[in-house]
Order: sequence, then C-alpha cells, then structure tokens
Amino acid sequence: MLTIKVLGSGCANCKRLEQIARKVVSDLAIEADVIKVTDFTDIMSYNVLTTPGLVINEKVVSSGRIPSPAEVTTWVVNALETA
Amino acid sequence: MVAEYALRIIQGGLGNLAAYLAAHVLLCLLPAFFIAGAMTALIPKETVTRFLGRTTPKFISYPAAALAGSVLAVCSCTIVPLFAGIYKKGAGIGPAITFLFFAPAANILALVYTGGVIGVDLAFARLFLSLAFGIGVGLIMALIFRREDQVHDQSTDQMFAAQRARGMRRAALAFLLVWVALLLSGTLKISLLTDTYAQRTLPVPGVAEFQAGLDRIVPYDASKGEEGVSVQGVLLIFLLVLIGVASWKGFENIHEGFNRWTWFALGLIALTLAVASLGMKAAPEGLILSMPGKFIGVLLALTVLFWLGRSRLTEDELRDFLWESWRFVKQIFPLLVAGVFAVGVIRVFIRPEWIESLAGSNTILGNLAGVVFGVFMYFPTLVEVPIANMFLSLGMHRGPLLAYLMADPELSLQSILIVSTIIGRLKSWTYVAWVALFSTLAGLIYGAWVDGASLWLVGLYLAAFLAVLASILYLVNKRFSQKGVAQQTA
Repeated sequence: MLTIKVLGSGCANCKRLEQIARKVVSDLAIEADVIKVTDFTDIMSYNVLTTPGLVINEKVVSSGRIPSPAEVTTWVVNALETA
Repeated sequence: MVAEYALRIIQGGLGNLAAYLAAHVLLCLLPAFFIAGAMTALIPKETVTRFLGRTTPKFISYPAAALAGSVLAVCSCTIVPLFAGIYKKGAGIGPAITFLFFAPAANILALVYTGGVIGVDLAFARLFLSLAFGIGVGLIMALIFRREDQVHDQSTDQMFAAQRARGMRRAALAFLLVWVALLLSGTLKISLLTDTYAQRTLPVPGVAEFQAGLDRIVPYDASKGEEGVSVQGVLLIFLLVLIGVASWKGFENIHEGFNRWTWFALGLIALTLAVASLGMKAAPEGLILSMPGKFIGVLLALTVLFWLGRSRLTEDELRDFLWESWRFVKQIFPLLVAGVFAVGVIRVFIRPEWIESLAGSNTILGNLAGVVFGVFMYFPTLVEVPIANMFLSLGMHRGPLLAYLMADPELSLQSILIVSTIIGRLKSWTYVAWVALFSTLAGLIYGAWVDGASLWLVGLYLAAFLAVLASILYLVNKRFSQKGVAQQTA
C-alpha cells in the first residue's frame, strides 16, 4: 500500500500533478492513497520550497515542477519494489 | 439617447481592446509570456534559493531575495511557499519581505508590459525604485520585528544550503536569451529596427473601404493617443483567436505528449509574431506591406529558437517550457482582455478635470492619491498597466502614476491576506504602511526627475534617504546587539 502526497496550495500546477498521480495509480492498477496536502506548515515540514511537490511514502521525489506521467510511474514502481 | 450612450460606451471598450491587441503590444506581450515560461521552467530554482539560507550574510541574502523575486516568482505557486520558507526557515523576515515586495513589481511580464504600453522610462523607474525600496522595506521590517525574528524555526538549514548547486544548462540559457533578443528586436525603437528595407503593394481589392468601415465602427482621435483599429489589427485578432483554439488542443494536455495541434499552435504563434512585425497600410490600390528591420530580427530569432528547441533542448524541458507559458497565458490573458475592455468603458465616464485637479502635478497629495487608489482597488495581474495608461491620457502626472503603479501590485487585498496568515496581522499591516510611504516617495522622486530636476540631484536625494535609513538601522542594530551580549553575560 503506497501513500502518495501532492503538496500544494491549490494552484493550477498542483491540480495538474494530482491528476497525473491519480492517472498513474489507476493505470498501474495498484492500491494507493493519493492525498492532497494544502497546509503550509505541513508542506514546509517536507523541506519543499516550491510547489507542487510529490511525496511517495514520505519521500520527496520532485518539487517545483510537474513531472511527466512516465517519471511518476517509475517512482511509483521503485517505491513498490522497495516497500 | 440612451442607445446612443450605450453605443459610445461599447465603442470605448472595443476601441481600447483593439488598441491593446495592436501590433506593438503583441510584439512585447507574446514574447514576454514565453520568457516568463522559460524562466519558470528552465532556471533551476536552487541557483538562487541557496543564497537565502539563515547562514548567508545580509549583503548577499537581500539582493538574492530580490533576484529570486524577479526571476522565479511570476506566479503565486512560487511566491507563497518561497516566502514562507525564507521567513520561517531561511534568512528571516527581512529578505522574505524584500522578496515579496520585489516579485510583483519587477517580474518580467509586468516590466515588459509597462515598457510597451506606457514607456520604457517608467518601466526602468519601476525596476530601480522597487529594488531600492524593496531592500529598504525588508531592512526596516527586520529591524522592527527584531526580537520575534530570532525565534526561528530551529529545523536544519538544509532546505536552502544542502541543495546541489546545479547550474543552468547552456542550451537552456541560450534559448532564454534568444527570446529576450526577439522581444528587444520587436520593441526597441532604434532606426536599424524601424527603418523600412523593402516595400510591396498587394493588390487586395476593397482594403481601403474595409479600413474606412473599421474607422466608422471604432472612431478614434489620434490627438488623444487613441489608435483605432487597422486592417493589420483585425488580422492579428483573427490569428489570436486561432492560436487560442489551437493552444487549447495542443498545450492543455501536453503532459501526455505533443500532438499535431501543438505544432500547429506553435506555427501560428510564429506567423503572428511575423505579421505583427510587418508594417501594413491600407490604400486605394491595395495593401501596402513594408518590411522594417524588426521583421528580419524577429524572423531570425524565430529560426534560432526553432533550431534550439528541436535539437538542443530535451523533450522534458520543451514540454515544461510550453506548459508554463501556456499556463501564464491562460491565467492572465482572459482577465487582461476583460480588464482592458472595462477600462475603455470606464474612460468614457471619467472627466479629465477630476484627475488633473487631484494628481495633475507632482505633489505629496497627488502621490498619496495614487497610492490610496492602488491600495483600495484590486486589479488582476497586468491590468494595472492599461489603467495607468488611462490615467496618463487623462492628464495624470508621471510621478503619481509611478506611485500608483508601485502600490497597486504590492498591496492587493489578496496578498495582504496571504501574508498575514504567515507572518501575522501586526507585521503585515506594518508592511502595508511602509510600502505606502515608500511608494509615495518613489512617485515624488520620479516626478521631480520628470519635471526637470537633474539626475544627479535625484540620485542625491535617493542616496541621502538611503544613507539616513542605513545609519539609523546600523545604530539601532549595534545597540540591540550590545544589549544582547550584556544580557548573555549577566
């Protein structure tokens, strides 16, 4: 079971990243929680300076940009293997 | 009677809109959106943010904060987290405020648009005075809230410092610079670029009648600085609508890959830039096309951009770049169009005498009026520029105009609210008060320069003011730190 967090206040890029994360999860047909984190204190606690940020199993994999679906898929698959 | 009045209002709105979609504005605005997109997508944020840590000395962190404001923060996605980060875990409230002050005033879109619509002098005044006063406000805030500022979040500095100092790729930098070159060759008014090198007449029947018809629909008065609608303008508006449709299909889902619409939209944009840089005039014998130097410059830049984009940038970079640019357009352009139309409508109602009596000359009261208007009115990004232009044409002095232009984007209600959730109400209202004071001052200084005071005198005023400020800060700082030492030893 994976936990994927999307860090961001709700700007356009954050929503787009959430879409991509959900799409990857459904394409891979895996069980995962996609959670949006909008509170600034919580976002700061990941040491992320620029949103949107993507966190998989409490590890920050990207911040400040929208990764492509292919990249997200790789990260998710890696996280599944190490888990 | 009523119908006639309504017609006049709509004509005012349409005329204004057409003037803002005219060739010279497009040539600055369209590249500006792409430059903003390239900055957001291609500049690694770490190159700047690593100077914003807690351990960085002041004389580096303040300029770095200003730089971060102009380079990284074209959108609220970056402004708020970065502001909170600098304040809580990084260099503290001073640089955070400098960053916050400088970002809306000096981001590339605002500057270019101000330069293109109102004048390069005002754009530069906006840039330099914002820089000086942004750092000033930051220093003052750091001083006033000195004690609170020491209660930093005690988590590690790694957020800023430990980031790998990854430089910008050379190809990406070149790409960005060519966009800047495109912008300059389209907007600079030097004879090399504005001289006509070739002319041709296209035998298009009925062009002159078409132009006459346009002038009837949107009448204009050249003496008031109104531009009316040209055949070229209609062509450009048509192309813009096409770009809008193609972009929606080509860029909206760009994360799933490039499609045919993407390339079609890019082709259309290139075509639009080329058309906008041509000279066109309707005459009885047909459409007279003239080819000024800027047309060649624009074509050259487009070719280089195409080559760089195809062979030197990675697909990821290109995709991020297009997405960010498109996002800016989507976010700002519709509001801008609506705002410009509204400004044209409002203009019909305002009597020049009102503006002239209130802010027609460079007085303290006039500058204050500009600032107050800026604080209480909220306009979406960039709409402040056409509004300022309206005031200018109604007889506002350039000094109060700058005061307004500085206060409006800094102090929207929205930004005050965001800031107060992070730093608290007292601090944010103190900030508002200082910005209001500094904007008034900026207007006065710039106004004095416009009125003919020599550059040296103005520079002297500014330097004297900053020197007084710096020495007060230095003295208070010294006393505080002595006290701090005394307390520690006691």
